[in-house]
Amino acid sequence: MNCRPLCLALLFASGIAHANTVPLADVTLSTDADTLRRGAETVVTVCMNCHSLKYIRYRDLLNIGVDRDDLNLWMGDKDLNAPLLSLTPEDMARASYGKVPPDLSLMTAAREHGGRYVYSLLTGFYTDDDGYTNNHVFPGIVMPDVFGYSFAGTKEDQHQIENNAADVAGFLQWAAEPNAGLRKKIGSAVILYLVILTALLYLWKRRIWKDVDHDTGNTVRES
Amino acid sequence: MNGTMSKRKRLQKWIDLRFPLTRFVKHELTEYPTPRNLNYWWNFGFLAGFMLVMQIATGVFLTMHYKPDAAEAFNSVQHIMRDVNYGWLIRYLHSTGASAFFAVIFIHMARTLYYGSYRAPRELMWWSGQGLLILLMATAFMGYLLPWGQMSYWGAQVITSLFGATPVIGDQIVIWLRGDFSVGDDTLTRFFSLHYLFPFLILMGVVLHLVALHTVKSSNPSGITLHAQDNIPFHPYFTIKDFYGLGLFLIVFCSFVFFMPEFFIEPDNNIPANPLQTPAHIVPEWYFLPFYAILRSIPDKLGGVIAMTLSILIFAAMPFLDRCKVPGGAQYRPIYRVMFYVFIVDVLTLGYIGSQPPGGVLTTVGEFATFIYFASFIILPFTSQWENRLLARKKDLPKEALKLIRDEVEERYGDSAREDMQ
Repeated sequence: MNCRPLCLALLFASGIAHANTVPLADVTLSTDADTLRRGAETVVTVCMNCHSLKYIRYRDLLNIGVDRDDLNLWMGDKDLNAPLLSLTPEDMARASYGKVPPDLSLMTAAREHGGRYVYSLLTGFYTDDDGYTNNHVFPGIVMPDVFGYSFAGTKEDQHQIENNAADVAGFLQWAAEPNAGLRKKIGSAVILYLVILTALLYLWKRRIWKDVDHDTGNTVRES
Repeated sequence: MNGTMSKRKRLQKWIDLRFPLTRFVKHELTEYPTPRNLNYWWNFGFLAGFMLVMQIATGVFLTMHYKPDAAEAFNSVQHIMRDVNYGWLIRYLHSTGASAFFAVIFIHMARTLYYGSYRAPRELMWWSGQGLLILLMATAFMGYLLPWGQMSYWGAQVITSLFGATPVIGDQIVIWLRGDFSVGDDTLTRFFSLHYLFPFLILMGVVLHLVALHTVKSSNPSGITLHAQDNIPFHPYFTIKDFYGLGLFLIVFCSFVFFMPEFFIEPDNNIPANPLQTPAHIVPEWYFLPFYAILRSIPDKLGGVIAMTLSILIFAAMPFLDRCKVPGGAQYRPIYRVMFYVFIVDVLTLGYIGSQPPGGVLTTVGEFATFIYFASFIILPFTSQWENRLLARKKDLPKEALKLIRDEVEERYGDSAREDMQ
């Protein structure tokens, strides 16, 4: 059986892309220790005024290298095992915004190209013709322009906000799947192991089939 | 040394007096005759069995940490992903495993269609496989509700509402399936219960499938029953070949599990189910997309549901529809070969259309692809008989091949068929 058409077909099927209606900033996010630390600080001190990250505990932040003294400052009287909850109670948030700001634990996983989405959203604020603040990525967004991108005076200020946004997006990417680093590390070892195992199995197969293999063709050949 | 050997022998004898272990191993493995000319497309049955075991094993461990409760289901999945030791691995194996299972099954079916393995005497294998496919689809569908994300919830809402198209008692059936007026906690708990039950029904179905296989033996690319000397024992030849194929499969599978696990998880499913907010675009999992596209291609709701059901069940008719007397698969059958590839391309087209929002030119293409889908089956009796006449006239096959084909046809279909061929 000629397998090429089928392989091509499968490739085609796997390439079915999801339509993306929003043009996102083409930014490469890093998740190195410094980014995560800076991102954690911004998220805890700025974002958490309104948002929660309920699947993350304060203790988890120690694992990404947040300083214990900083953490104590952020925690106040909360327990190390307490989840990262918003400072604004839900009913108060509902009264001010009409809805509870979404939990950020899975924000980057819950959007197509989530990291880039968060970055583009935070740097997507602008002032429209009527003087209202709006957002390119999320028109009609309720969230205010917390970083002040829409009224940043200088290029330098804008650049600073872009760096902040990249740190936040990087941190949220970590928060969406804290085990992703471990997963990739184990994955490399697993694939290496499987490649060696499969190569050995192939040699073993050849050895067992040695006496049969000279005639693998069909009993009836197509001429 | 000698002592342990005889101890082993004695144990074997002790067992064999009470249970036919040695006879079973001989009959089903070490002396089970398998055609020597099987190619790698014949590996996928074993791979399907492997996936079943993998899904059951990972599923059992997931169940230890999962909570089938509308208020807790989403949280418990995050608990598995973050707190349970290697919970993320177990869950990604299971979620990617569902896709891999379907990929393997679809290839297994495509192989059967290409090589005509559904034909006599393997009809019961084909039909038991058809039943297994339906059970697998039901299991996958119910499992997809369990993470209780937006796509889980709305997918279940849409699919269960399809049963409302049943005349007269439609509404009652939908409520009976959901246990409520809309998908809710009751739906989740019953889907969980059945999602745990069905794999074991599948396991029983697989046993029947294998008993049938070991009665009729494997088909092979030539399509004719091989002489005894062309069969080789399953073990060690095909055990090692299956394990080598498993290694190749696992490399691909683990690449997805470890490096692209979110490939098969819709972003929307990382948002907890919200009955008050419909996602912009509800899509089923990729393995349902072709059938979903057929459903949407029929303007009438009841008609769409019937067409979708038929599109799955129609495979069972293959042994009746295919009248070709030439043994072997599409490689010996010029018309069927073209039809096979057209059908594969058609299914992939339908899959793409199912993944897109409806409307515009895609709807027209979808209707055309649906037509081609059913037409492929409906014209088969005519094209296959035409093929009989065409191939009987063909003179350029090697004489040995012609003789083998004629003998086979005669043995299987009697003298009248032989006259047809001449």
